[in-house]
Amino acid sequence: MTADGLEIRQSSASVWGSATELRNLKVVSKLIDTTTCIGCKACEVACQEWNDLHIVPTTQTGTYQTMPSLDANYWNLIKFREVEESGFFAWLLRKDGCMHCADPGCLKACPAPGAIVQYQNGIVDVNPEACIGCKMCETGCPFDIPRYSAKTDKMAKCTLCVDRVQVGLEPACVKACPTGCLEFGDKAELVAVAKARVEQLKQNGFTQAALYDPPGVGGTTVITVLAHGDHPEWYGLPKDPQVPVAVSLWKNVARPLAALAIAGSFFAMVAHYLSFGPKTPKEGAEKPKGDKPA
Amino acid sequence: MRSIPVADQRSGSGMGDAAMARARSTEDVVVGDEIVRERLSARVVHWIVALTFFVCLFTGLPIWTPYLGFLAHLFGGLHVCRILHPWAGVAFAVASVFMFVQWVSQMKLTKADREFITPKGMLRYFQYRNEDADVGKYNGGQKLLFWAAALGTVGLLITGLVIWFPLEFPQWVREASYLLHDAAFSLFFAMIIGHIYLGTAAEPGTFRSMIRGTVTKSWARLHHPRWYREVTGEKAGG
Repeated sequence: MTADGLEIRQSSASVWGSATELRNLKVVSKLIDTTTCIGCKACEVACQEWNDLHIVPTTQTGTYQTMPSLDANYWNLIKFREVEESGFFAWLLRKDGCMHCADPGCLKACPAPGAIVQYQNGIVDVNPEACIGCKMCETGCPFDIPRYSAKTDKMAKCTLCVDRVQVGLEPACVKACPTGCLEFGDKAELVAVAKARVEQLKQNGFTQAALYDPPGVGGTTVITVLAHGDHPEWYGLPKDPQVPVAVSLWKNVARPLAALAIAGSFFAMVAHYLSFGPKTPKEGAEKPKGDKPA
Repeated sequence: MRSIPVADQRSGSGMGDAAMARARSTEDVVVGDEIVRERLSARVVHWIVALTFFVCLFTGLPIWTPYLGFLAHLFGGLHVCRILHPWAGVAFAVASVFMFVQWVSQMKLTKADREFITPKGMLRYFQYRNEDADVGKYNGGQKLLFWAAALGTVGLLITGLVIWFPLEFPQWVREASYLLHDAAFSLFFAMIIGHIYLGTAAEPGTFRSMIRGTVTKSWARLHHPRWYREVTGEKAGG
């Protein structure tokens, strides 16, 4: 279900668009400070509980991680990664889940009208009723977030607890976080908080600390403070995420060209008929006895 | 001379249509004023291919663009289209294999065919300036359609399977498949528009070859003179 009270900024496979721009809703944000995360997984539990998700069996992967990757019934996963490079060692924890891109690749790739919507406040949500289970969003997403459920033939992912946000509450994961490494609020304010934290980290010796708010997807609603900001891939984040070029090519170039080819063929045939008409035997052509005209 | 008298029917009863009775199992024979062009099995295979093609087309178009979303209502919604489309695609590919097998031996491009399908040759054909006495049962354009359809079907099937089961393939294969499926279907459809036009409005008397299975002698002499001579035994220029 989508949140009825929120204005929609853009919608998948939309012909006319649905933004009215009547209301000026602030863009929200969730700040993840990976440097203060202790890997307690309270956010995972809160997410499961608030969203009433089915229990997914855990998988032992040799780390503290609950399971190898996200699931249609598991939208919030703390990723534990060990990085060892030329004598340097780091144990990195990052909360994985939908980034709620300003320019969402999933929404771009989706062929079902209204199945993926972006609200005016920046949250990207899924409407299972409109979802046709084609999995194109999984190809469109540069963060490998949407998960297809074979049981329901639908896609599912984090909604940023839009049902809570809509009534002025913070997302369940933020509510549960005991260290304050998760914060929720206006994006502009949280970016300022994050930048201050990055400065602090730099002074503490993490000279490459940075805020991860990738411009390739227009920035993200979920922003992340990384101690090793020069190596987002250590955290399992793409260095420069983009909506796949093929998705843009396909929707913005290939599709109009294809429409042109089809319409061109049709109108060429009409023009041909009007100029040349049907092909019939020449007048006065010799016809053997008993032969019917075509 | 393979021409047989009208009275000699093989339909089992004396009441049936002689030409159609012959067209059930034979082709390239003269029956009265008609020549059998496509036997029953060839026509059935052709129409199964056509039907599955249009099911694929009309279930695919609403997924392709929301502007054609209304087509989804023909099948009960977009979700039905998404289920039906790949299975119709499989049926189309299977039927296409039968069509390929039945016609492939007649689709070898001759030297004259290669000239026919050059831009100059096609222009001559569309301007009705081709007085080519050497056109056999299928002209160069029809053979080109045959091979293009075969190639297009293979392309649509492979890319379609990737789109059907995207999670089994790497990202770049999926991306390429969406683009190629789009390109292949649009060229295929553009080609089929031409095919339908030529088979109906542009060349009267052609459509019956896919319904009755027969054409008139004058049609055959106009469009496929060499085939006409071969079937009737008449000499060139006759």
